[in-house]
Amino acid sequence: MTMKSEPFVVNVGPQHPSTHGVFRLRLTMDGERIVDAEMVMGYLHRSVEKLAEGRTYTQNIPFTDRLDYLSAMSNNLAYCMAVEKLMGIEVPERGEFLRVIMAEFQRIANHAMAIGSFAMECGVWFTPLMWMFRDREKILDLFEMTCGARLTTNYVRIGGVSFDIPPEFMPAATALVKELPERIAEYESLLLENEIILVRSRDVGVLPPELAIAASTSGPVLRGSGVMWDIRKADPYAVYDRLDFDIPVGTRGDCYDRFLVRLEELRQSVRILEQALDMLPDGVASVEVPLALRPPAGEAYARIEAPKGELGFYLVSDGSPHPQRFHIRSPSFINLTPLRDMVVGLTIPDAVVTLGSIDIVLGEVDR
Amino acid sequence: MIFLAEWWDVRDLGNAVGELLEWLGDHGPDWLPYTASALVGAITIVVFLLVSLLVFAWLERRLIGRIQARRGPNRVGPWGAFQSIADAIKFVTKEAITSANADRWVFWLAPILVVVPALVVFAVMPFNEGMILADLNVGVLFLVAVGSVTAIPIFMAGWSSNNKFSLMGAMREVAMLISYEIPLVLALLGVVIFTNTMRMNGIVGWQDEHNTWLIFLQPLAVLIYFIAGAVEINRTPTDIAEAESEIVAGYHTEYSGVKFGMFWLAEYFAGFAIAAIIATLYLGGWTLWGLEEWVPGWMIFLVKLYGLFWFFIWMRGTLPRLRIDQLMGFAWKALLPLALINIFFAGLEVLLWQENDLAAEAVLPGFAIANLVLAVVLIVAWAQLLGRGRPQYRPTRARLVKELGAVVYGEEA
Amino acid sequence: MEDVGSIVAFWVLSVVTVGAALMVVAVRNLIHAVLFLILSFIGVAGLYITLSADFVAITQILIYAGAISVLILFAVMLTPRAARDNAETFLQLPGLVLAALVGVTVGAIALVTDWNEATRGPFSETAAAIGEALLDKYVLPFEIASVILLAAMVGAIVLVRED
Repeated sequence: MTMKSEPFVVNVGPQHPSTHGVFRLRLTMDGERIVDAEMVMGYLHRSVEKLAEGRTYTQNIPFTDRLDYLSAMSNNLAYCMAVEKLMGIEVPERGEFLRVIMAEFQRIANHAMAIGSFAMECGVWFTPLMWMFRDREKILDLFEMTCGARLTTNYVRIGGVSFDIPPEFMPAATALVKELPERIAEYESLLLENEIILVRSRDVGVLPPELAIAASTSGPVLRGSGVMWDIRKADPYAVYDRLDFDIPVGTRGDCYDRFLVRLEELRQSVRILEQALDMLPDGVASVEVPLALRPPAGEAYARIEAPKGELGFYLVSDGSPHPQRFHIRSPSFINLTPLRDMVVGLTIPDAVVTLGSIDIVLGEVDR
Repeated sequence: MIFLAEWWDVRDLGNAVGELLEWLGDHGPDWLPYTASALVGAITIVVFLLVSLLVFAWLERRLIGRIQARRGPNRVGPWGAFQSIADAIKFVTKEAITSANADRWVFWLAPILVVVPALVVFAVMPFNEGMILADLNVGVLFLVAVGSVTAIPIFMAGWSSNNKFSLMGAMREVAMLISYEIPLVLALLGVVIFTNTMRMNGIVGWQDEHNTWLIFLQPLAVLIYFIAGAVEINRTPTDIAEAESEIVAGYHTEYSGVKFGMFWLAEYFAGFAIAAIIATLYLGGWTLWGLEEWVPGWMIFLVKLYGLFWFFIWMRGTLPRLRIDQLMGFAWKALLPLALINIFFAGLEVLLWQENDLAAEAVLPGFAIANLVLAVVLIVAWAQLLGRGRPQYRPTRARLVKELGAVVYGEEA
Repeated sequence: MEDVGSIVAFWVLSVVTVGAALMVVAVRNLIHAVLFLILSFIGVAGLYITLSADFVAITQILIYAGAISVLILFAVMLTPRAARDNAETFLQLPGLVLAALVGVTVGAIALVTDWNEATRGPFSETAAAIGEALLDKYVLPFEIASVILLAAMVGAIVLVRED
């Protein structure tokens, strides 16, 4: 005998605790199982790409802060790299190192948030998130020390960085980098062997590598599926080719693997930071560039390995002070595309965990 | 014992009530002491619970704050101690919204009824030798019966809200309660087999008489009861019915203001109730190996109760949530068979003891050791059986690579 | 003094029980009907208490109010019909006739029987006696009932198995 049941629709979001903002997942359920998932986005659309066409290249940097507001430094970096490519500006070595240091600190801050909220999706009552906020706070303190802002840093500038680091930065940063491995071990002791997290995320939301590549996902989502790919190694920018680090990859492509990859990336970022802080050369941090930039007509695409994946900025210049086309390849948005294939056949709790394991920020998804 | 019978002796608050009732019996009609005793008991229980709630609502937030490396509420009053009062005022003054398509009567009734089971449980709870509102001779069964009714107000709340998330939460809660009722009852059965009574005070008396706590004789049952109790009171790792990240707030999604406050209240009361049941049945209630002669028994009982409640807070601050099917599978595949085996051995031991007329002092330590070994062996064996040993449930680490391009999908780490 | 308390309790509980039972039939909304049914069950449990049958009363709450009613709630919830109301039925007339017949029978028995007025003894323990009866004198029916329930459970599982 088969049970006859009617499919019914559950709207997860746009106002729902675990959609990381105003994302809406329209799930068609057959009993407990999801038979279809429709992603509805655009609730946070602010038309950044169009707005940017009316502003100068320098004025556009603050917009990038507000894309993925959890990793503003990386966004600044990718955008400025694109403009520099367009202009042919060489950034001084010290500037490049500072950019790497900030980007890696930002990666730790972002992954702290991602792992914490993933654990919350698995049902922990805030504890890992709060623990990770301790470290994130210290990183944000470093940012504040350097550029006065914590979240929307607007730090990386065309031709370098806005300010050189203050004298108190280095001791604080080295102390933090020394402390971090211990902290990461603490998180691992809480989360890594936690059986409930294991059963909740193991073999849930599996993304096979073929699909991951076909959907052009990147970052921890792609690496979690076992694909060895990292732009820091594939297309080294700044000074990453001079630093020694490993790429963590998963072998199953499930939520647990994505979580593991992020956890390991914390360690690798600490490794990079240790080297970068050690190798930081003296000299000037940035070159002078005119405020009203007029890049020669042409186009440029610059990409970095942002915490969430490949973040690229595609700029077309017609010789005027405004970009003619300003396009963002945002990792959150593209990593979200295979979500339907990942959640069909699962239940709502699994879908929530899967969404949490992708690590999206709606500011970047909707732009 | 000196002064124990005087009404002003706080070591036994029952004395004062007893004196009052006697006086009423002498000076009033027959029904007066009866009514008065019911009223005094009910009011005392409610006051006790509300005061505990006020303290623990604050304490829990402070303790979880400690767990989470933050401060917790510290603004209202010294150390934020009046936070619960501020919260209570907030609950009362907020608008209690009834959504347009809600089933008004049921929606209104559910938050009231939901408090009742948790309150009624305390009627059979011995705070001290004489401090028990109704020493029913079916006390244990009464606990179970009252616990089983909890599902109905929750179902009413979820159904009447006319919200999919509410309904899902309610269905989950009811399914969970029904499933966990069985291991819960079976865990209690072990106690009844040993003590040969269902009267709460009788069970405490038995533990007092044999100078042992049933937690030593029934370690597995305590564990089972603790887990099932955690499910009944809806706290992480089993807060599936109100799983915030999945179904918003479960059955009370649509409730606000004082109605939501009632659910919150009921949850705490139920937590106290489960802690009180464990303290009474397994931890010797108001006795502490003779210390109750010097310290008021109700204080010993409360220390045990609050200590157990701290475990629930600790769990909430640490553990993630299971999925509903995993939780149900755990009830049926793990707890139920373990509880049955536990009962079998408990029955066997009592039979051995009674038939051979052995001395309790000689036989109980042996039982305690045997049951502890049994519990450990069973838990390990069942964990292996249910797949703890399977490779996919072994924690791994990400593989580290230096070169790019290849795919390691599907390889074992 | 005549036991005023138990008489008052009897009447209150009777009114609640019978009233709730009537409402089960009268209300349109099936969920409301189930909720009234639960109230009726609890009223019956109260009546048992006035009869000094503590074990039976608590079992009534445990089994009927706690388990059977939830079962009914589930059955109603899993019914595919979106509007779950007490619809008009062509069985109205036969139902009324049957009800009348039952009423007449019960009434007749009540009138014919020579009621013994039991003296109200002390509140005795019944649990042990029931347990002994079930495992001693009535062990066979008890076991048969369990086997039947087990068979029903197995049957239900077999019915809904997907493969």
